[in-house]
Order: sequence, then C-alpha cells, then structure tokens
Amino acid sequence: MDPLEVVAVEVPGEDYGAEKYREILLDILQDLGLYKSIGRIYIYSDIKRPYFAIYGLFRGSLPPLKVRDMGDVTQVEGGYQIQVEEEQHMDDLLKVLWAKYGREGVDQPDRDILIVATESSPEDLVVTDIEVEFRQDLVDALGRITPEGFRNRRNEMNEEGFFFLASEETIVPKLIDEAKEQIRRMADA
Amino acid sequence: MLEPVMFKGGVYKHDLVLELVEDLGGYVLQRNVTQAEIILLLLIPSDDMATMESLVKELRGELTRAPLAGTEVAVVTPTLAIHHLPHVACDVAEYLRRFGAKSNMIGMARGVGKKIAQINEFEMDLINEHDTAVFLFGNFIDCILGKEKLYRNIEVPVVVAGGPEIPKGDLPYAFEYVSTVGRQAHRSRKASEIASLDKIVAAVGRALDGMRKEIEMDPLTTSPPRVMDAVREQIPDIERSFSPLPIALNLNGCRIKLPYDEYSREVEKVAFDEGVTLGEIARIAPSRMKNYIVVRILPMSETGFVF
Repeated sequence: MDPLEVVAVEVPGEDYGAEKYREILLDILQDLGLYKSIGRIYIYSDIKRPYFAIYGLFRGSLPPLKVRDMGDVTQVEGGYQIQVEEEQHMDDLLKVLWAKYGREGVDQPDRDILIVATESSPEDLVVTDIEVEFRQDLVDALGRITPEGFRNRRNEMNEEGFFFLASEETIVPKLIDEAKEQIRRMADA
Repeated sequence: MLEPVMFKGGVYKHDLVLELVEDLGGYVLQRNVTQAEIILLLLIPSDDMATMESLVKELRGELTRAPLAGTEVAVVTPTLAIHHLPHVACDVAEYLRRFGAKSNMIGMARGVGKKIAQINEFEMDLINEHDTAVFLFGNFIDCILGKEKLYRNIEVPVVVAGGPEIPKGDLPYAFEYVSTVGRQAHRSRKASEIASLDKIVAAVGRALDGMRKEIEMDPLTTSPPRVMDAVREQIPDIERSFSPLPIALNLNGCRIKLPYDEYSREVEKVAFDEGVTLGEIARIAPSRMKNYIVVRILPMSETGFVF
C-alpha cells in the first residue's frame, strides 16, 4: 500500500517507464523522509519533446520545532534539564540555547543531556523551522527523481503545493502551460 | 586447456593451493585476503582439475568455476551522479566480479540526456582497452534508442542494459540487449532483480566467448597469463604497486599498473625462455587509465610463431 493518497505517473507510449518512475519516486521520498508531508503527486512526462513535470499537494504546513518536541524538559537544581531524544536537530538546539543563555549558561554533562541555568522553562523556545528544511529536501528529491539530462528546470512552490518542470529544451511559457494542462487533466480524472 | 576457477577458503594452509597451482603449471590471477578468508582466482589445467578439487575438499574450501576470470569489463553509466549510481551500476559491477571478471566503473562526462548525450575520444579509447563493455541506460525506450550514438564506434562488444523490452533489431550496434535493468533507486534484492543480473553475466560471457573464438583463428604469440608471470618475476617493483590487482589480464594482453615513463623500457626487455623479449612479441603502449602500461600481444600472423 502506498503511504501517499494519490501517486499517478503518465508517460505516453512508455508504460514500463511510467511504472518504474513511480517506484523511483516512492523510493526517493522514503529515503528523504518526505512521505508525511505530501498528500498527492502527479507526474507527466512527454519523452518525445522531451519534458518532465511533477505536481504535488502538501498535507498541511508543519509547525516550527520547539525545545519540548526534542525531548523531556524537567526542572532540576540550578535550572532546567533537557533529555534529548531527537538528536537530528541537536546542533540547532545548542545554537539557540547558546544565543539565549550564553555558552556558560548551557552545560552538557552527557551526549543527550543539557542543563540550562535559567529560572523559566526553555520548552517554548523555537529550535528551527522544519518547513524550510522540508522544502530544501523536497527540491533535492525533485532533482533526483527527474531524469538527469533534463537540466533546464523551473520550480513553483506555494503554501498548498509545488509544480516542477524539467526539460532538455529551453522552458518557454507555452511548454509550462502545456505541462500544467496535462497535470490538471490527470488531477481531474 | 586452462580452466578459470575461484577458490574461497581459510587463510590457514592456503599456500598448499598455491603450491599445487605452480606444480600443475597453472596461474594465480588474483589473491584477496579478507581477515581469515582468502579468495584466489586461478587458471588450472582442465586435466588436473580433480587433483585440485580433492585438495580443496580436504581444506574445507570451495572451488567454483569463474567463467569471466582473466577479463576486464567496463561498466559504463551516463554520469557518476546519484541518478545512475550507486544502485544498478554497483550491483552489476559487483555481480560481474563474483564471476571472476575485473570490472571497472566508468561514468561519462556528458552522457546524460536524450539529445545532448555525447562521448569523447578519451572515453572511447578507455572503454576499448577493456574486453567488453556494459552500458547501463534508463527506463524509456526513446532514450535508449537515442543513446546509440554513445557506443556506435566502440570496438569491443557492447552489452546494453535498460528497463523496457526492445527488439534486438532496433539496436544494431549492441552485441546484446538485456531488459529489466533500468534506473532504480534501491539495491537489487528481489529474485527477479538478481535474475536480471544473471542475464547480464550470461550476455557478457557470450560476448567474451565470441572474442575468444576470434582470437583462436589467429592465436596470440603467447598467453596473457604467461606474460603476467614473466613480468612478476622480472620486474619486482610490481609487488610494490598500491593497486589491489597490479597486473590486470585481458583476453589479448594485460595492463601493468606501473608508470609508463619509468617502466616501459623494462617491460619491453622482459625475456622468455624461448629467447624472445616482450617488446618483440607485443605492442607496449601507455594506457588511458592513469599512467599505466598496456601490453597487447601480437598474433601469430605478425610474429610467425607461437609459444
């Protein structure tokens, strides 16, 4: 079962290629951990022209990552202790804590334990904006999914989703309109 | 006739295998030691195979036929980018090694795209130094057909691999076309994927058999393993080469992994018991791979004798 709601790939005259690109898409989204945030994906490619278009809809925006999302925050003698469970953003967490409390105010007695010398709980501090990270990963994923020779690329991204077009030829407005029309047709079907 | 085989077993007492190979008049092509295990690529006279088998059984080792031993295969991808590597290309290269071939991965500088793909002279010469080449393409029929220009002028047999089914007649410049090996973003694990790799090995085997038959029609003055042995004996510096395989064998010669400028004269002077030197029976040239030395043994029609 596919974790995404809709994955549709259409390549006229290339049924095998369409099926394989569906696999490649799912493999790459899984590798980069982008499944959760994308709801629907449509790919249309015309290899004769040639161009490759991807349209996707997001499942909703991601809230910023706060200190409390990274582990348990408990009050201890001399401040607050953060028991980090999510080490992926450890560097961001340290940067934020150093900026707020200074280096002397943050002690790290163990790899996953931080003690902050403060009177008020740091649990509501924003560590990083995951949305920005997600979009960077998404652009990386789109570049990997697209056949490598399609070097001219156009990327449109908004709150709801993204539209990515890649081609060997110069991307002109007519080509963009045509690709969007094909994607619209697939989405309406 | 010499039979190519692979010995896998423990390091303990493996020198008995080496001694037997020497006694039987065979050759050790490659020796890989991995902790307590050893893998040897050997050429053994087929009449004496039973002797070797009984020794290997005694040592609790494993002896398997390595049909591609003593050959070099180029695994060519349009580029070395993440789109083409590591999955399929590494799987193919690694699988060829299991059958004894020395496989080299080559990523072209501008091999991508349908219309813009191209190969340059250097890449072509480098691929031609191998015994055969495997070109790995993608999943679209149109692209695979359009990339014929990349291998049209390659002199060695080219096995083309791609995803979709394409009739052989549509790819006249390919020696064979193997389907179901297109672009993918995961390692080959399923039985069907491994079966596709087997098909590539079989196609490469057929290409090499064809070349062997061609060579038989005008035999080489001497065999490449014999040249390898003589070079090993007379140029001791070869043992100090950092390469895991200091002398790579081809069907019609070998590549000696020493700098051409410093060692080409010494290689030319390598002498055989029959009273000839390597310079007299082979063409010695700089390799396109690094600054190595390529030895191409001349056929009987050019030297007038075989030993």
